[in-house]
Amino acid sequence: MEDFLLHHLHEASPSPEDQGGLEEDIFADVLQELTLGFCFEIHRSCKMGQLFLDETDEPSLKFYEIVNEPGRDVFGKPPLKKQIDCICPHCNRNLSASRFAPHLEKCMGMGRNSSRLASKRIANSGMGKMDSDNEDDDRDLDWSFAFDKKVTKKSKKDKVSNNSPRRSKPKIGTKMGDFPCGGSLPSESMAGSMTSYASKSFSSAPYEGLSLEERKRLLMSTCGVISEHTHKMCTKSLRCPQHTDEQRRIIRRYLLRIDPEGRLRMRPDGSLEADDIQVDIDGYEDGDGQALRETLNRIQQWEGNTSSANPSPADSTSTTNSQEKRRKKGSAKLTQRKKSKVKPPALHVVSSAGSTSSFLSSCADTQFHILD
Amino acid sequence: MIEPVCCVADRRREKVHQNIKMDLSWKVKDVQMRAVINQKLIETGEKERLKELLRNKLIECGWRDQLKAHCKDVVRRKGIEHVTVDDLVAELTPKGRELVPDDVKKELLQRIKAFLAQQASI
Repeated sequence: MEDFLLHHLHEASPSPEDQGGLEEDIFADVLQELTLGFCFEIHRSCKMGQLFLDETDEPSLKFYEIVNEPGRDVFGKPPLKKQIDCICPHCNRNLSASRFAPHLEKCMGMGRNSSRLASKRIANSGMGKMDSDNEDDDRDLDWSFAFDKKVTKKSKKDKVSNNSPRRSKPKIGTKMGDFPCGGSLPSESMAGSMTSYASKSFSSAPYEGLSLEERKRLLMSTCGVISEHTHKMCTKSLRCPQHTDEQRRIIRRYLLRIDPEGRLRMRPDGSLEADDIQVDIDGYEDGDGQALRETLNRIQQWEGNTSSANPSPADSTSTTNSQEKRRKKGSAKLTQRKKSKVKPPALHVVSSAGSTSSFLSSCADTQFHILD
Repeated sequence: MIEPVCCVADRRREKVHQNIKMDLSWKVKDVQMRAVINQKLIETGEKERLKELLRNKLIECGWRDQLKAHCKDVVRRKGIEHVTVDDLVAELTPKGRELVPDDVKKELLQRIKAFLAQQASI
């Protein structure tokens, strides 16, 4: 078999058109098989309905045509330069999309630590836009760059122009740096402490130079009790444990010129009363008003008492007078009768009587008895 | 001197007959040989390798896509419901042969010749 094959290969084919026909035939055979497989494939996809799936209609082809222009992407859109900003639904502020989720967590208070922060923020905003809120904004890094710049500019302007309490307070603090909480006051009576405040040289104290408004602001945020020893103001919070509410109330009355002493003193003028009303913005307004009313009532009562109580001493004096008259009469009679009769021994009994008031009457009575 | 015509005719007839005989024997040999070679191609796995190579080459040169487009034309012409495998084979076989690039064909033929030479030298 092998010999035959070799022989055939080396021997030239008798017919010239068969030259090299073997390779051609083998190739045609392979190609035929491939084509047949391809035909089966096509037929199958044809019967399954998949043959024309990859074809599209003209409009969509045109619509999704790849754009090849210098300034655009493959969809023919210009590149986005501005980063996408979101507006927080809770606090209505602009922030970049990448920072939106963390901000939302903080703003709405969903996280473990954030709830505290958020509740504080809400409380602050509820208290009528305290400036601490504003300061928080400055510190918050959530805001997108452009917006942040605006905010800081604005807030700087605010700080310069408005002289907000938050900003003014540190100034006061530096001015009144010598007002740290100076220990606890020794327990004194209210009046005593008042007089002590008044008597001390507070007129030269730095807060004298402050306006009423500034004092009010200061006292709204700090304890403010002035120490006896250091003459300095306590700068701790309103709920400072070292000082009592009573002490705080006293210092407020003193500093805001609404102390009961001053009122009593200045009320006759009438002009200062209006001032007092203006001053009473502090939380102690009601108490002070009540105190004022009480003192007024007390004074009125006292005056009424004197007018109604006077008659009784007057009566008593009149009775004594009458008793004296009677006694005088008696004595006159006595003297008249003494002349006629001998001095009675009952006088010993009279002298034994103790009290002076009863003495006179009893004396007279006994005298009358004796006379009778 | 002059050969009889019948003799000449006889001799010629004989020669033709001989030629036909030779041809026939060669053809028989040829058919046998082809069967043997085919057997060898399958046994050695060369046929599969050739097929794989040709498939890849044809996909690379876009023959497949061209043929598919033609196929779609045929299917559209005949209606998708009425197309049979025979129709497709009849349409695609000549078209397929036609579309094969020359360099692919040459490379394949070269490879087949190498295989035959390898088989002959054994």
